[in-house]
Amino acid sequence: MIVCVAVVGHQNNPLYLQSFTAADDALKLHHIIHCSLDVVDERVNNPKKSGPTLNETFLGMLYPTENYKVYGYLTNTKVKFLMVTTDLEVKDADVRSFFRKFHAAFVDAVSNPFHVPGKKITSKIFAERISGIVKSFGSVTAG
Amino acid sequence: MDPQKSYLGRLLQEEITPVIMVFTTHLVEDACQKNGLNFIEMLLPFSLFNKINVPVRTASDQPYRLQMFKLRLAYASDIHLQNYEAAERHLKQVVHDASHKSLTNLSSDPPELEDLLKDSGSDLCPTWIQTFNKELIQTLCFSEHETFDHPVACLLVVSSKDERTINKFIDLLNTDQLPSLLNDGVMDPKILKHYLLLHDNQDGSPEKVTSILAEMRNTFGSNCKLLCINSAEHADGASKDISWMPYGSHTLPRDDIACFLSSDDINSVRDFMQDFSCNYIIPHMEQKIRILNQQVAATRKGFRNQIKNLWWRKGKEDAPETPNGPTYTFSSIESQIRILADYAFMLRDYELALSNYRLLSTDYKLDKAWKRYAGVQEMTGLCYFMLDQSRKDSDYCMENAFSTYLKIGSSSQRYATRCGLWWAEMSKAKSQFKDAANIYFRISNEEPSLHAAVLLEQAAYCYLLSNPPMLRKYGFHLVLAGNRYYMSDQRHHAIWAYRNALCVYRENGWSYISDHVHYNVGRWYSFVGILDVAVKHMLEVLECSHQSLATQSIFLNDFFHVLQSIGKKFEVYKLRLPVINMASLKVLFEDFRTYASASDVHVSESLWQSLEEELVPWASSGRSNWLDSQMKPSSLKRKDISVCVAGESVTVELEFKNPLQVSISVSEISLICELSAKSEGTETGKSASQIEPPEDSDHRNSPSYRYPHNDDSFTLTKVDVVLGGGETQRIQLEVSPKIEGLLKVIGVRWTLSDTVVGYQYFDFDAKNKQKKGRRSRHSSSSNLSFIVIKGLPKLNACIQHLPKKVFAGDLRLLLLQLGNQSKFSVKNIKMKISHPRFLIPGCMEDLNMDLPECLEKQKINGTRKAPADVTANSKSLLFSFPVDAIIQGETSFTWPLWFHAGLSGNISLYVSIYYEVASCSSDMTFRILRMHHDLEVMPSMDVSFNITPCTSSLQEFFVRMDILNKTKLDTFSLHQLSCVGNTWEISALPTSLSVFPVQTLLAGQALSCFFKLKDCRKSSTTEEKLTFRGGDLLMVSEDSKEAMIDISKSPMVEFHQQERYHQGKSAKGDPSIVEFILISKMQGSDPSILPGIRPKLLTNHACYSSVSSKCPISWQMSGPRKINHNFSKSFCEASFHLQVHNLSDTLLTIRLATTNCMLERKHSSEVAKLSDSSGNGGGWHDISLVNDIKAISNVHGNRPKKSSLETSSPFVWCALSSTKLNLEPFCTTEIPLKVCLFTPGTYDLSNYELHWVLKLPEEGITHDGKLCSSGSVGGHPFYLTVLQVRH
Amino acid sequence: MGREVAESCIDGVIIEMVSAYCNRFYGSKPELAARRIEAIGYQVGHQLIERYTMERPRFSDHLEAIKFICKDFWSELFKKHIDNLKTNHRGTFVLQDNKFRWLTRVSIDPSSENLEASQDSPVLTPEHKVEVTSMHLYFPCGIIRGALSNLGIPCAVSADISNLPACKLHLDFGDNKNFPPRMLPE
Repeated sequence: MIVCVAVVGHQNNPLYLQSFTAADDALKLHHIIHCSLDVVDERVNNPKKSGPTLNETFLGMLYPTENYKVYGYLTNTKVKFLMVTTDLEVKDADVRSFFRKFHAAFVDAVSNPFHVPGKKITSKIFAERISGIVKSFGSVTAG
Repeated sequence: MDPQKSYLGRLLQEEITPVIMVFTTHLVEDACQKNGLNFIEMLLPFSLFNKINVPVRTASDQPYRLQMFKLRLAYASDIHLQNYEAAERHLKQVVHDASHKSLTNLSSDPPELEDLLKDSGSDLCPTWIQTFNKELIQTLCFSEHETFDHPVACLLVVSSKDERTINKFIDLLNTDQLPSLLNDGVMDPKILKHYLLLHDNQDGSPEKVTSILAEMRNTFGSNCKLLCINSAEHADGASKDISWMPYGSHTLPRDDIACFLSSDDINSVRDFMQDFSCNYIIPHMEQKIRILNQQVAATRKGFRNQIKNLWWRKGKEDAPETPNGPTYTFSSIESQIRILADYAFMLRDYELALSNYRLLSTDYKLDKAWKRYAGVQEMTGLCYFMLDQSRKDSDYCMENAFSTYLKIGSSSQRYATRCGLWWAEMSKAKSQFKDAANIYFRISNEEPSLHAAVLLEQAAYCYLLSNPPMLRKYGFHLVLAGNRYYMSDQRHHAIWAYRNALCVYRENGWSYISDHVHYNVGRWYSFVGILDVAVKHMLEVLECSHQSLATQSIFLNDFFHVLQSIGKKFEVYKLRLPVINMASLKVLFEDFRTYASASDVHVSESLWQSLEEELVPWASSGRSNWLDSQMKPSSLKRKDISVCVAGESVTVELEFKNPLQVSISVSEISLICELSAKSEGTETGKSASQIEPPEDSDHRNSPSYRYPHNDDSFTLTKVDVVLGGGETQRIQLEVSPKIEGLLKVIGVRWTLSDTVVGYQYFDFDAKNKQKKGRRSRHSSSSNLSFIVIKGLPKLNACIQHLPKKVFAGDLRLLLLQLGNQSKFSVKNIKMKISHPRFLIPGCMEDLNMDLPECLEKQKINGTRKAPADVTANSKSLLFSFPVDAIIQGETSFTWPLWFHAGLSGNISLYVSIYYEVASCSSDMTFRILRMHHDLEVMPSMDVSFNITPCTSSLQEFFVRMDILNKTKLDTFSLHQLSCVGNTWEISALPTSLSVFPVQTLLAGQALSCFFKLKDCRKSSTTEEKLTFRGGDLLMVSEDSKEAMIDISKSPMVEFHQQERYHQGKSAKGDPSIVEFILISKMQGSDPSILPGIRPKLLTNHACYSSVSSKCPISWQMSGPRKINHNFSKSFCEASFHLQVHNLSDTLLTIRLATTNCMLERKHSSEVAKLSDSSGNGGGWHDISLVNDIKAISNVHGNRPKKSSLETSSPFVWCALSSTKLNLEPFCTTEIPLKVCLFTPGTYDLSNYELHWVLKLPEEGITHDGKLCSSGSVGGHPFYLTVLQVRH
Repeated sequence: MGREVAESCIDGVIIEMVSAYCNRFYGSKPELAARRIEAIGYQVGHQLIERYTMERPRFSDHLEAIKFICKDFWSELFKKHIDNLKTNHRGTFVLQDNKFRWLTRVSIDPSSENLEASQDSPVLTPEHKVEVTSMHLYFPCGIIRGALSNLGIPCAVSADISNLPACKLHLDFGDNKNFPPRMLPE
């Protein structure tokens, strides 16, 4: 299942961070997300190690921590989407489609004229959409 | 880079070196202990040779030179594997010492990010960590699966005082004190021995020593030496420059170390060691290498040997599987190869070592001797590194060794750690810092928390050193390390790690993490007792509105806990709790302007100033000019200094907000002020512009330090509040200076829940920014420095029984009360009232009378005059009290005010009172007292009048009064209707009199009554003068004792003037204008209205009900109504007069047009109408009249169209068909008319039209909107009945 | 996107916005009005680029990003590509659109202009007309600037309408930006 998703702005400031676990490991997840930003920078800086094709928005798995896998996605506007999952085997296609939906939701959220660019995303609708996407991801991987 | 120069290279060259096993006797140790050293410690400084420069020849024939060489010395008793717990204790001790040695500057500020990135790795990773690594590796010495720790030679030392020296040497070597390695055959007992005789020169001459030496030589052979020490009587500086190192856990004494070693002692020791290593150790090793190499070559090299070896190993396949493989004795070929390789390694012949290690690794692999295999792999990797060969191989080997060690299990996981350390060092040497960090992280998982902490810290440094630096991982690993440190209670290290991590999380937005770090660092600082820094960190997390409620309360409690442990009250600059909204700063002060109540202050200054024109001497100019007249010129240039009066308080309003969800208690909020006495007040006043804003250094230190609180010059109010979660409160703080001078309000201080004092200074640039944004009450409302002057006494005023809610039209008497606490008498009082429509001053006589009697008509009608000195203009009213009105000291003074609620709605009355003081030396000449009252006027009655000229006579009018009670549940009783001026006489219509006397109006009831209005100017005859009943009509039954209200009295007159003004017409003497005053009383039915509020009397002023509301003319047809005529003779002829009266004040031209067509139906209907209406007396009815008036009123256009349905009328207008004539204002003319009739019947002679055109000057139009400049009206119905007479 | 809106509406909105800011809000100071309009455009571009770059890999360098602006982004906005893209290799680009869609309806015939200027509205001099037209260009300039800066390319955009309806946009990245081979992350 997906443990945590995050949107990080182009100044590496958290725009949205939501954990989907009952346990209170928010701090840990924050740390993991925060650290994976380093890996994102690394990937972008020397693309030879980066994902399948050059400059693809999908960055692939950033790094496996002891029991999490962190996947990353970097848009043209330097906005990072991060996803932390506990699944052992994850189909790459699933993650891609997940991030695509995620990105679409994000674009709709920031297109809201009342959203201040660079500030945290507080829209309820966005949150609902994300949680829906996360749930569907779980189901897809299950089925 | 050359790997041998790298850190790891140096490490290996120092750590993997020949071990010398040392045996000593007690006397030897005693001799050495005189210097505070044991024997090994005495030799240690000389066991490291940086420039030994000896030629070495190993297996290959060409020699090479060895530069750096080192011997490891160890007591035989120590040559064994350290047990786990001892190692733990030792390492813990190391860390602990480090925390005291290296972490001294904990209270300093944590490093910033940029200078972290600036300085290079060497000084980044602290040295104690390297020593820790060394110690960790050394705890693994003397394992049996690797031989480079096995002693190469042993050194036997006997003191010259030992008797039977030779036997001593023998005894030292007896087996029971030999280390286990030699005993259980892991290593070869035939070991190179070296015999040393130690002589203490304090024990006299070395003669017999030489004999002993000679005897030794005979017994043991050549390798016997003599060493003389302690030849110095007292400490000479010989051993200054020698760095003595401790052996094991033994600690060196600080003072008088090596005090008895003279310089030649030291030289002899050095020479001994040199000779020992050069002439014995190294040759021995060379020789052994060559021998072993030949053996190995003989047995293993070459194809045949390899096949045989393989075959032989295959044969051992079925040998029983033991956990760490089969046991190998020193004689086994594997051990031999290992020794060979290790020796070669120690002598830096890495090629040879590598080849043998590889040879060996296959064997061990086949034998499944995994531990040995791993050790060999480890060494192979190191060889690859030292040979600077392919990184891939070395990494592969290290990886292999590491995993193998781990596979074996807990017994050798520490070896995995050692392997990892070496591996990480290798990566670092190749500047692959990320891999190094990964390795550290991996091995940290296998180690107990303390070691893990150290390893994680190293990992963090590696991330920082990697290119580009991975700062976030650096921070994360530091946090992990700190966490581990804290778990294995190394608090100093924990703090160190966390505070170094802080700089990473300054990055925007990651408040969740930074809160956690700050909070923990704060807590731990408080644990180790560095409280001020603890508080500093705690303050960072105070404003944690994003955290959960529980977290917030935890943070707060711990913060308070720390503060309490500090003991003294802590003063914090810009304490985050509560949040002060500086933009809400507002200053309320009274200079010459005083306010009756706090609410008056918020009225905008411009409003007051507009009100106070011509009240105060400086008519329209700003206050600064007033200062000019008062202040010394020094303080005049700056307008930013405002003025307050000594003894009166200056109030500052601030918003305090509690961002948390938990409620906090803020106590003794007070201002920080400084007051410089008058003497230097002006100078400081002059330099005020320079000294503000206070510079930052000033801001740092606390107000109690800056301003020792001197309560003699001013007093401060202290406010205590409790702010609930998320609550914002507006708090008023006062300072009242006692002496004159310059008062500066500098900041605000408060106490958060009795533990911490926060203070904040009002910074001025920010304030100026927000000043323009805010609606500024005073020109200098946000200016915070005041000139305190000696002021006049301050009056306080109130208007007694002024209700908050009144009904429109309510008329009542109020009392203005002025109190004067001072002992000076106040004179020359003037008052300005904003809405004279509502409030006018009365006169003294009104005081002792009450409503409504005072208004009733007295028999002796001495009409009182209104106070003469009232000058009312459109907006406001200036009233100057009589000269004798002087408020003595400590007295109060009352003056009557008349109140009349003019119109409904919310109204705020502004009153400002000007006064001077008779005899009071002051900087002021006068003061102003301002008060304002908001009151709500509820609608009571809606009265409208409609006046229409009576068609029967020009002097009489019909008045229809429509009243609507607009209240919810109040009943009014109409009392009196008066029309102003004595030119009108109003009387009830006989029919509508039947409605009286019960003329009450229930809530919501509408009523219309009709009156007759007579214009008395026209009535020339004297008897009518006598019977003039006046403009008043009492609308109650005569038997009730209600008295008539005299509307010609004050205040009715003034109010009526106001109403007249406000109802929007000028007071031109327009005779056709009637003004009514309806006086009614309230029948108190509504209990909700307090008797105080219940109006006694209500007056509705309906001004300017113009007679000719629609058309400017009134006319009347006069002539015969009934004609008898004999139509058989001729047609009938009748003549009439049309009297036209011009009601307007302008010239009119009138055109009378008669039309001869007539409606059939109308005709017949009129006949019918006559017939039935003739039944009751008095033919016409006001109803029909009203209808007719209606018809007139909306005459424009919707007159029944005559054009439609033409018939020939039964009569014709003869004579002129249209006349045109001019009509002067207010005069009457007559137009003759004539009709010819042909048949008897009743005719309505209304089919004529009067067209009128106003000859208006332009402004004539404006003065009455309704009056249009031209129009036309049809005639009144005039019925003529013609009867046929026959003879 | 699937969502479409009538072009006339866009024109109407822009015209109304420009007139509102130039005449009603900041009638006195046109430069302030210009800045406000440009700011609005900035936000619009900032959000549009999010959407239009959604389905494509990241740009490897600035030139690629600018080409995207000229082709895809332009055709999303104006239903055509940029006609000409020039650069001096010192960080200045000139985008030329020979028929700038939002200016096609601006009356440009100088003769008619003078004629009507002469007869009914003498205030409407040609230069005044040019100024009014340029007011309409702050919005697209803002859009381009917002789009580029959201792509991590801060720049200054200025428009040149010497001969309508052709329009030249000058993108200036400052001198220091000499196009690194790959974008450095912020």
